[in-house]
Amino acid sequence: MTTVNNRWAALLLLLVLVLAACSSTDDTADPADDGGGEDAAASDEPDEDTDDTDTDDPDADDTDADDTDAEDTGDGATVASMRAAITGDEGTLTPYTYVTGFPGWNLLMLQYDSLMQIDVDGVPQPWLAETVDVSDDGLTYDLTLVEGVTWHDGEPFTADDVVFTVDYFLANAAGRFSRNLGAVTEATADGDLGVTLTLEAPSPSFPLSTLSDVPILPEHVWSTVEDPETHQFEGPNIGTGPYTLEEYQADTSYRLVANPDYFRGAPTVEELVIVQFADDAGALAAIRSGEVDVVFDQIAPEQVDLLGQQGTIEIAQGPEYSSQLLYFDASKAPFDDIAVRQAMSLAVDRQDLVDTVFLGAATVGSAGWIHPDQPTFNGAVETTTDVEQANTLLEDAGYTDSDGDGIREADGEPMSYELLTPSGDSLRLRTAELVAAMLADIGIQANVSSVEQATWEEAVWPGFDVANGRNYDLAMWGWSAPIQADASRVASLVHSEIEIGSLNLTAFADPEMDEVAQALTVEGDDATRTELIGELQSLFAERLPFVTLLYPDGAYAYDAAVYDGWAFVNGQGIVSKLSLLEPAARP
Amino acid sequence: MGRFDTRRIGQYGLVLVIAVTLNFLLPRLMPGNPLALIAGVDVGLLTPDQRAELVTEFGLDTPVWQQYVRYWQDLLTLDLGYSYRSGQAILGMLLERLPWTLLLTGSALLISGVIGIVAGAISAWRRGGALDLTLLTSMIGLESMPAFWLGMLLISGFAVSLGVLPSFGAETAVSGLEGWDRLVDIAEHAVLPVLTLSIVSTPGVYMTMRYSMLEVLGEDFIRTGRAKGATERRLLFRHVARNALAPVLTVLALRLGYAFGGTVVIETVFSYPGLGRLVFEAVGGRDYPVMQAAFLVFTFAVLAANLLAELVYPLLDPRTRASA
Repeated sequence: MTTVNNRWAALLLLLVLVLAACSSTDDTADPADDGGGEDAAASDEPDEDTDDTDTDDPDADDTDADDTDAEDTGDGATVASMRAAITGDEGTLTPYTYVTGFPGWNLLMLQYDSLMQIDVDGVPQPWLAETVDVSDDGLTYDLTLVEGVTWHDGEPFTADDVVFTVDYFLANAAGRFSRNLGAVTEATADGDLGVTLTLEAPSPSFPLSTLSDVPILPEHVWSTVEDPETHQFEGPNIGTGPYTLEEYQADTSYRLVANPDYFRGAPTVEELVIVQFADDAGALAAIRSGEVDVVFDQIAPEQVDLLGQQGTIEIAQGPEYSSQLLYFDASKAPFDDIAVRQAMSLAVDRQDLVDTVFLGAATVGSAGWIHPDQPTFNGAVETTTDVEQANTLLEDAGYTDSDGDGIREADGEPMSYELLTPSGDSLRLRTAELVAAMLADIGIQANVSSVEQATWEEAVWPGFDVANGRNYDLAMWGWSAPIQADASRVASLVHSEIEIGSLNLTAFADPEMDEVAQALTVEGDDATRTELIGELQSLFAERLPFVTLLYPDGAYAYDAAVYDGWAFVNGQGIVSKLSLLEPAARP
Repeated sequence: MGRFDTRRIGQYGLVLVIAVTLNFLLPRLMPGNPLALIAGVDVGLLTPDQRAELVTEFGLDTPVWQQYVRYWQDLLTLDLGYSYRSGQAILGMLLERLPWTLLLTGSALLISGVIGIVAGAISAWRRGGALDLTLLTSMIGLESMPAFWLGMLLISGFAVSLGVLPSFGAETAVSGLEGWDRLVDIAEHAVLPVLTLSIVSTPGVYMTMRYSMLEVLGEDFIRTGRAKGATERRLLFRHVARNALAPVLTVLALRLGYAFGGTVVIETVFSYPGLGRLVFEAVGGRDYPVMQAAFLVFTFAVLAANLLAELVYPLLDPRTRASA
């Protein structure tokens, strides 16, 4: 790693150089232009040398590299080095210091493994744990670990490490892993490979939310770490994962090197250099100029066609399990009236939103909330657009436009509301504008108000605690993959009791939905669960705790000439260890 | 002299205390939940117990004056705290990025200073002539160019289309280069951002120099100089330019202060790992501890540059020495 001193020295030398260049310049000449021209010309050659010594993969050399490597490994193609772009810094990438849920967590998990690993369909499969057995009451998980797994430093991975990990995250509470493990009351080791986890209450989503999410830590490294959030490790982070982080330069880059002894087989890319950009415009320019080979960040819908037409750049597209939703405070008039909610759902032309705002790079929202690509999706749920029917519904329910201004009245007051949307999200803002126009067709006036994110959150979710109530009428909202991908989370979105419905930001209350949602949180039998989720979707589409508009698709750009082995994991995208393993080694 | 200095230092001290106090108060006056400022959006998924723990940990349950005292104590021991996003010590984060920012802003300051002064002097000397008009209109043209647009234009021209210069970063990531090769690599990466920054900052210097020159040119001693038969060249450089330089140097000294602030726009467009980009990312990720520390550094730098300008001015212009 580069030290600060080193950089100061470089800076000093450079300043001297610049000074020298300037002092010798003519008065009328433009030293900036001169310097620029000279630098560029003089360094053309060294630049190419750089790429070679780097064992980088200049596009031309690529096929050669593939051929020789293919002979070594016997099957599949391996790539010597690949450059990936991310936006923003992700810190030192330990379980306590990675920054974002995406792609920070994804990069973290290149170094670490979880007990289970989700496959491309987003379903948890055995990973570090070879077998996972759940007791009938759903309270005990018996795991058998894979034999012969070693940590990056050569120490053997054992059941004690798993027990230590659970205890450590619970003792040093912070962030997602401690939260996910919160339901575990006890973890015990049985020999070197047996682990038993005991839960406080049955949690059917445990394999997805926790076993596939929490990185397992090495006890021999972490047992002495007292302040994990600020602890500085010497040398690379130690995990069991397919890569080790060999170098990190803040705001610049990461260098990950393949772990040849990975328990599922050596990864396909030997060196993965992750370059940090300040914004996506920079990353996109870099993939177009060939300076990076893949962008580990979703690209905007308007870029999909543009990039896809460029040389060997291809686009990987699939469901992200994020959403654009229309929220309202269902505890107050007129949104407490099911007719109004149904009319609003009927009024929005979801296909139009997908085509106009997302240029097709999204999936039409299901009124039943569950994404059509999820295994539990209920195909019988219909999502329709019918402005006429919506108008009839409102008319019959007594919302009429008595003064002829095009806006209906509710209890004598015009149905005119502020529609809040965060200013930083342009796609959401555009969606809001279109939704407002659609609501106008049924005589409801939505005034789009684009506010700073903190203001928006404070209005919809004051203090991030539903016990504080809500301060809004209409708002654009969305949940990220961890909430949407897990059907049992639905209880927290709709349940009327604060303890269970901790994410019920629309103040929705319906005894029947409470009952089904509640049953879902404890039911362990898969068939019954699917049935319950199906039933819930029908109820959802009828009672409308909120209006599901659409699910944006994830789209990623990569240079197919460099590496073509990308696996799109539903709900996670291409930034996953699956993309960097031989197809046979994937779950 | 002594009394003057004490008073001045007192004034700067007062401004500093006010700045620090504002810096302490601002995040506490902003809308939104303070917890969200500390723990980020994830705070919504915390249990009430975990939230209470955070409040205690960050002393948010103590009276404001106690928080204020604690803030000063931390500041005086150079403890700027930790980034809530990455857990890194903020002082280290700032020091790591400062050299890069200074490389950019320092080079650009030098280039724009030299070009601006020389062009301004020539322009004023040939006032109303073809050269003056050409320079003046092109400088106005340059000044009206937004930095981000110019930067993107240069990237798309030199990096994407021609492929002769790198489009991002301060050096090739994981290049393994050392010594001279590394310097060349760094210089190559600096070309486009420095060029952009120089282009947008030259007109300001040029304008100041030109007007300052025009003012001096109208003074009696220039006529005297001409009368006594001094050569044009000697007159321009020894008498006019020298006297016109004082206001320009003040402008440059202040810019030196701002230089520490980095240039958010340019560092973002070129993904340059400097202070401006750090601030940009801190704002985007609502990393308030980092923002606060960075703003504090900028305040110090601007104040220091002001002080510097005040100390240098009397050396350039003897008339201001008597003003105390």
